[in-house]
Amino acid sequence: MITKNKIDSFIEKIPPSPKIIKETLLLVNQGELTKAAKVAGEDMALRTYLKNIVNKPIYGFTNEVNDLSQIFAILGLSLTKQTVYNYMISLLSPDKWVLFKLNKKTFYELQADLSKNWEKILKYLNISDKEMYNAITLLPSSIIITEALFFEHLDDVKLLRETKAIDFNTILSRLCGVSLFDICEEIAKKWEMNEVIYKVIQSSSGTKQSGNKEIDTLGKWMHLLLFYELSKPIFIEARLNDFIDFQIDFVADIYSEFAEVMEIS
Amino acid sequence: MKAVLKKGVAVFTPQGFLDGNNTSELLSIDDIESAINLKADMILVSLKKVIFFNKNGLDAFTKLFHAVRKKNHSIVGFCDYDAIKYDAIRKFFGDQIDFSLYKTSDIASLFSSGFKETDKTVLLYSPDKSQRTAMAIDLHDGGYNPIVAQTEEEFNDKASKKELYDYIIDLTYLGHMGQKIATRVAGNAIIYTVSQFLDAEINDKFNIEYHKNSLNVGFRLFIFDAYKTISMNVHALNFFSKLASSAAEYNATISIVGMSFNKTPESFKETLEDSGIIFYEQMDDILQNKELLKELGASSASNIKNKRTINKQTVTELPSFISATVGTIEMMTNAKAIKNGVKIDNIFIDDKKDKIASSIGYYGDLDGMVILVFPIIIAKKACELLIGEQTDDIELILDTLAELVNIVGGKIKTLLADENINVNITLPRTYGNIDSLLEVIENKKGVQVDLSFNDDKFLFFLTR
Repeated sequence: MITKNKIDSFIEKIPPSPKIIKETLLLVNQGELTKAAKVAGEDMALRTYLKNIVNKPIYGFTNEVNDLSQIFAILGLSLTKQTVYNYMISLLSPDKWVLFKLNKKTFYELQADLSKNWEKILKYLNISDKEMYNAITLLPSSIIITEALFFEHLDDVKLLRETKAIDFNTILSRLCGVSLFDICEEIAKKWEMNEVIYKVIQSSSGTKQSGNKEIDTLGKWMHLLLFYELSKPIFIEARLNDFIDFQIDFVADIYSEFAEVMEIS
Repeated sequence: MKAVLKKGVAVFTPQGFLDGNNTSELLSIDDIESAINLKADMILVSLKKVIFFNKNGLDAFTKLFHAVRKKNHSIVGFCDYDAIKYDAIRKFFGDQIDFSLYKTSDIASLFSSGFKETDKTVLLYSPDKSQRTAMAIDLHDGGYNPIVAQTEEEFNDKASKKELYDYIIDLTYLGHMGQKIATRVAGNAIIYTVSQFLDAEINDKFNIEYHKNSLNVGFRLFIFDAYKTISMNVHALNFFSKLASSAAEYNATISIVGMSFNKTPESFKETLEDSGIIFYEQMDDILQNKELLKELGASSASNIKNKRTINKQTVTELPSFISATVGTIEMMTNAKAIKNGVKIDNIFIDDKKDKIASSIGYYGDLDGMVILVFPIIIAKKACELLIGEQTDDIELILDTLAELVNIVGGKIKTLLADENINVNITLPRTYGNIDSLLEVIENKKGVQVDLSFNDDKFLFFLTR
């Protein structure tokens, strides 16, 4: 069904990060938000994406924000970088989703929800490391990878999953010895993302721990956040609820705190 | 979300958070319809991977449960939870609970009429005496040996010696008993348990499709355990007479055990005997008598009266069958298949050693049976994706092989549907050695295709 060659070819086809993105990220890293906004504005798609994301209800602005400098100023350094990374990941998403019932709008919705709630969690945990803010951006790439690798095998996967409760990550690992999160790591490396980002993502799979206490704690929060989001009607309808296995024991000890942060009653 | 069927139990496994807003997306009417079509005895929602639920979340499921029960008479409920979740559900629904709760899906399968494992010792406890009794009766009817703990202390004491029991049941609640006729398999005989008054309802409660499939896959002895039957009327008499006639076509035997005719006319017994049904007083009269078992056909499945031959339509569709089989094995092994030869004849298996087999029947616009014969080494390889690790446990391999053949059957169904040929598939059957397979198909002509995957030989046989 899926071979190691197919995975290698998928990774090979991932384009390097665009020049404008690189420049924007460099300027953001230097704290030059105004200059960064100017450079980002040269990419029409990036400009539109940023406007769409920031004007989603979860960001809570009453009036529409259109000006890129204003958007960057409102977001601040950490969230601007996070949003640009989100844009990079969105470039990998297919024009037409087959396996999952997603579209650009719902995918952006997922990215925005994850980012805002991740911010809440980091604030609660008193973590100010900027790279930790960016870590969440790589998580949705696991969904894109699943779509890309499995969409041609829709019927086979359906039959297989009706016979055995087996998630996409397990199928991939058993067939090729590579997990969805290993591929996320490859993408992060190709795009020269910070090491901490893919370490947290690997840990958030719930099946591969890093051994670093802080990273593994964040992985745990990220795993629970992912399933909190995937339990929303819109994403259940998109067939995302069981695309990877929820490791309930992995997150059991932080559930009460999580419920408090997310105001679940 | 699709249900996964195992041991007669269809289980939905939602993940994450369940509240009133998302339940209808998790489990739609279409999903329930598909589960009903799986002919499961039970339809359950597993809470194994649910970290949060509230009453609204469960309410939406219970509404669906009612719809299923009304339509299908299946047992419905929740499974796979811990004590906290169990207490929460009991608290939410109080005495109004009209669905079942099983601590694990394995425990649920003990109460499923389609589960075949018998002669197991089961320790059980419930603080509610009527529940303890109901569970014990149900388990006993299913062929298990229930040991009921009368107090929590007694239960904890006994449960500490886990090795003495095959299953330990607590935190379980039987909402409604299944209304279907319980079925179990003892050796090569199928035992149906009937009770109370047998009337026209037996036609609804008896799974005729299961029975027909059992005949098709080679079972020849069917025993009705009627110890608890009080009486039967003329509708039930007609039912048994018709069943006996259809069994005769396959040279199968129907027998009724333990039936008392105190409240049923003796003339009914004569009528049933005339139609070929044999009566016994005790189950052991049959099951412990090997000679009699052989005579009744339970030790051999080869003597089918109506031998049917492979026809043109089946041969025309042969590419679909091969494609489904090869596609599935290729998917499972990530290896390419090579076709070595095709012939129409009786099955020929060169070397019977270290080989296992599985079969699945199909019926509808076309009917027949696909048989796959694997060297154990390929079966193990093909099942690794489903098992997740290498294993030498032959029971596990056979069990998984049945799942694999089920996937093949599903694929055949899809491929034929593309050509407007509608078929249904039977439950798969596995054979731990080639001799037991040959008992069923030795004299049947069919299409044999020899295939190889990475130089390992594999046999496909299609017959009717």
